[in-house]
Amino acid sequence: MKNHKKWLSGPYAVWAAGFTIIPLLMIVWYAFTTEEGNFTLENLTQIAAPETVKALALALLLAAVSTLICLLLAYPLAMILASKNVSQTNFIVLIFILPMWMNFLLRTLAWQTLLEKNGVINMALRFLHLPALEIINTPYAIILGMVYNFLPYMVLPLYNVLIKIDRDYINAAKDLGANSVQSFLRVTLPLSVPGIISGVTMVFIPSLTTFVISDLLGGGKILLIGNVIEQEFKQVNNWNVGSALSLVLMFFIVINMVLVAKYDKDGEGTTF
Amino acid sequence: MKRQLQRIYMALIVILLYAPIITLVVLSFNSSKTRAKWGGFTGKWYAALFQNDTIMEALYTTLIIALLAAVISTVIGTAAAIGIHSMKRRARTVFLGVNNIPMLNGEIVTGISLMLLFLAFRVRFGFLTILLTHITFCTPYVILSVMPKLKQTSRYTYEAALDLGATPLRAFFTVVFPDIMPGVLSGFLMAFTLSLDDFVITHFTKGAGVDTLSTKIYSEVRKGIKPEMYALSALLFVTVLVLLLLVNMNPQDSKSAPTFFRDAEGRRHFRFSRRFLLGRLVPALLVILVAGGGIYYGARAGNGNTNDQLIVYNWGEYMDPEVIDLFEEETGIRVIYEEFETNEIMYPKVKAGAVAYDLVCPSDYMIQKMIDNDLLAEINFDNVPNIKNIGSVYMEKSRAFDPENKYSVPYTWGTVGILYNKTMVSEPVDSWKILWDSKYSDSILMQDSVRDAFAVALKYLGYSLNSTNIQELSEAQSLLISQKPLVQAYVIDQVRDKMIGNEAALGVIYSGEAIFTQKENPDLEYVIPKEGSNLWIDSWVIPKNAQHKENAEKFINFLCRPDIALMNFDYITYSTPNTEARKLIEDESIRNSTIAFPDDEMLADCETFQYLGQDADELYNRLWREVKSK
Repeated sequence: MKNHKKWLSGPYAVWAAGFTIIPLLMIVWYAFTTEEGNFTLENLTQIAAPETVKALALALLLAAVSTLICLLLAYPLAMILASKNVSQTNFIVLIFILPMWMNFLLRTLAWQTLLEKNGVINMALRFLHLPALEIINTPYAIILGMVYNFLPYMVLPLYNVLIKIDRDYINAAKDLGANSVQSFLRVTLPLSVPGIISGVTMVFIPSLTTFVISDLLGGGKILLIGNVIEQEFKQVNNWNVGSALSLVLMFFIVINMVLVAKYDKDGEGTTF
Repeated sequence: MKRQLQRIYMALIVILLYAPIITLVVLSFNSSKTRAKWGGFTGKWYAALFQNDTIMEALYTTLIIALLAAVISTVIGTAAAIGIHSMKRRARTVFLGVNNIPMLNGEIVTGISLMLLFLAFRVRFGFLTILLTHITFCTPYVILSVMPKLKQTSRYTYEAALDLGATPLRAFFTVVFPDIMPGVLSGFLMAFTLSLDDFVITHFTKGAGVDTLSTKIYSEVRKGIKPEMYALSALLFVTVLVLLLLVNMNPQDSKSAPTFFRDAEGRRHFRFSRRFLLGRLVPALLVILVAGGGIYYGARAGNGNTNDQLIVYNWGEYMDPEVIDLFEEETGIRVIYEEFETNEIMYPKVKAGAVAYDLVCPSDYMIQKMIDNDLLAEINFDNVPNIKNIGSVYMEKSRAFDPENKYSVPYTWGTVGILYNKTMVSEPVDSWKILWDSKYSDSILMQDSVRDAFAVALKYLGYSLNSTNIQELSEAQSLLISQKPLVQAYVIDQVRDKMIGNEAALGVIYSGEAIFTQKENPDLEYVIPKEGSNLWIDSWVIPKNAQHKENAEKFINFLCRPDIALMNFDYITYSTPNTEARKLIEDESIRNSTIAFPDDEMLADCETFQYLGQDADELYNRLWREVKSK
């Protein structure tokens, strides 16, 4: 019986081969060839160019900081959500998905209106005689944009693992004399590792590769690796170099996949 | 106490998530066209929305793609999940690993890889390519949401059903499927939402004439978002919010239903009907609405034979939409209109030939590059008698890039200069020098395009803006690097909104934008610096692979008609080379404006960009990238 069912995944296998695997091989192909189609390693040397290295380093830094902030913001939130009763949580979880129905670009642009020198936030601050917030066109605005856009991707997997933790474990820990800090550190936290890993991945990767957020909130002054790649493809029109740079990103993606495979074996920390 | 803290924390997060959304809703009621200024309360954008065909078409494309992608990926994904579930451990790991790739891959990598695939197999970019890519990135989410539910099902109930004589199909649908239904549903919802919200992947895989809301918005970002777009987003958001509220008020899990069973008969009936209404009828109606709208707009898009088409590729916000309507009415030719943001984005698209554009509007140096690369067709001027309305001086100037006036017809022209705010800048502005004055630190807006940025620096240094001399260019580069700390932002057309909103004191801007900004904010003044600047011309050209060349010529001729040229001038406020149209301008101050129509003396030191060859292009790009990453 089982052997028959296996074939149900056939269509997806074909699909994944055609639209996931082969396209990735195309990137590899482009990365190692010239415009005329001859083999070359020259595109890869572009990775070492100082401005590329700088863009990559900055992207890694900003992505790491935003991921950390997301984790710190989302963990308490997920715990609060998980402690509510079920009928409420459905609604609360929807609250985090609902903003996605408003276009991502518009939401990010709205932050421009909020953060600008004469923007909404500064007008309010000025009215209250508070010092102005001057973060638009700086890396801080980009971090804000990343946290804002990707926070739900951190909250939901954390919520999904936390809600599955059996209350009895925590009660048992308390019966055995653990205080709430200890029971958190020794029981809740270790049990939520799959959710953390999944959430970190879901925030880190899009932050690392974004070009829209840095474009809209960074004032074009801050170049991340995503911007460099986008420009190679859409403006400079050198697809071979662009592909080579994408390979670098794939390297980080592979690292992430290994991490996920190691810590989240059963796919427990799924986002949705 | 703890509860209070929890409440406050939740409230703060919700404020963070919803502040931009509230902003957008407020902006949808702003009667001023720019987001930088509150012009009073209005509901007109909501009315305008339903008359704006391009936005409505984009909306339906988005919804249909989201619906199809969600349905198809739910079917494929659910089947795949069942298959994977019954696999041996090792095969399962491999499968799930592959499944993870589209999710873990940066969107940009997924988008690029699929673009390369479609190019390699010569798939025409359009609706189909978007749909295929959306299914590709949605399916993994469906699989991931169905898998955990499958794990909770018991194999034995299924086998019991088989033992009792059910066919495998029936056993599946009566025993297994109800158990995994929540996972399938949430997978579907997730797929729909992701598809709806996607920009990056669509950005790389869309074709001409097809826009989703995301790509439409992105092309509007540079020019300022049309207020109708805010209205649409607000409507969409409120609709979904109301739907979700209704569905959530309803007891959705069947477990709670029996408790109401024991209640009065009438109550049970009430519950049932509302549940039917919300669970079945409303979604069904929505589907019909979307499909109906899609067919309506699809039919409009596809009607008539392809001979009566014209595919136009123009700058964003660079033509009065009514002009297109008029042309369609007069000739019966259907115009497919697409926009680009920069010459550099336009060029590879035309060159790749994935879409055969009939009419494109590049700038001077890019036209030269296209001529050099043999991409353009000669225009048959017998079909363009209205060329007589174009001032001879502009035809003369065009010879700089089109030596025999064979390939191009001037559409707009202008200069690049400094727009400054009189209340923030006290001294007279007459030189590029002021852009390096540290007094205006963080109040300077520079152009975010290679040639324009370098033109400013080169002109300031007294060199030609077509310089290829490495010495001169590196001087210009260090000048630009030294300027970077003073620059508030590198932008293209956003200079307009930012200057209107008093965000900056000085901005480098195209003369055409200056007239519009002055109307909105009278404190602004435009000047062409004394060192000289760029004199640019945007002209219509016909690519060699155009399928409807005669239609293109008809359209050029139409655009050269004085009344039409005037309509466009009023709408986009970029100087027109159409001397007959200029005579028709009613407002004398604009007809004689030196911003729109500077005299020869002011243009004495202005140069037109030339195409400098591929090596120089690469040099410019490299130098500029170094500036940007400093």
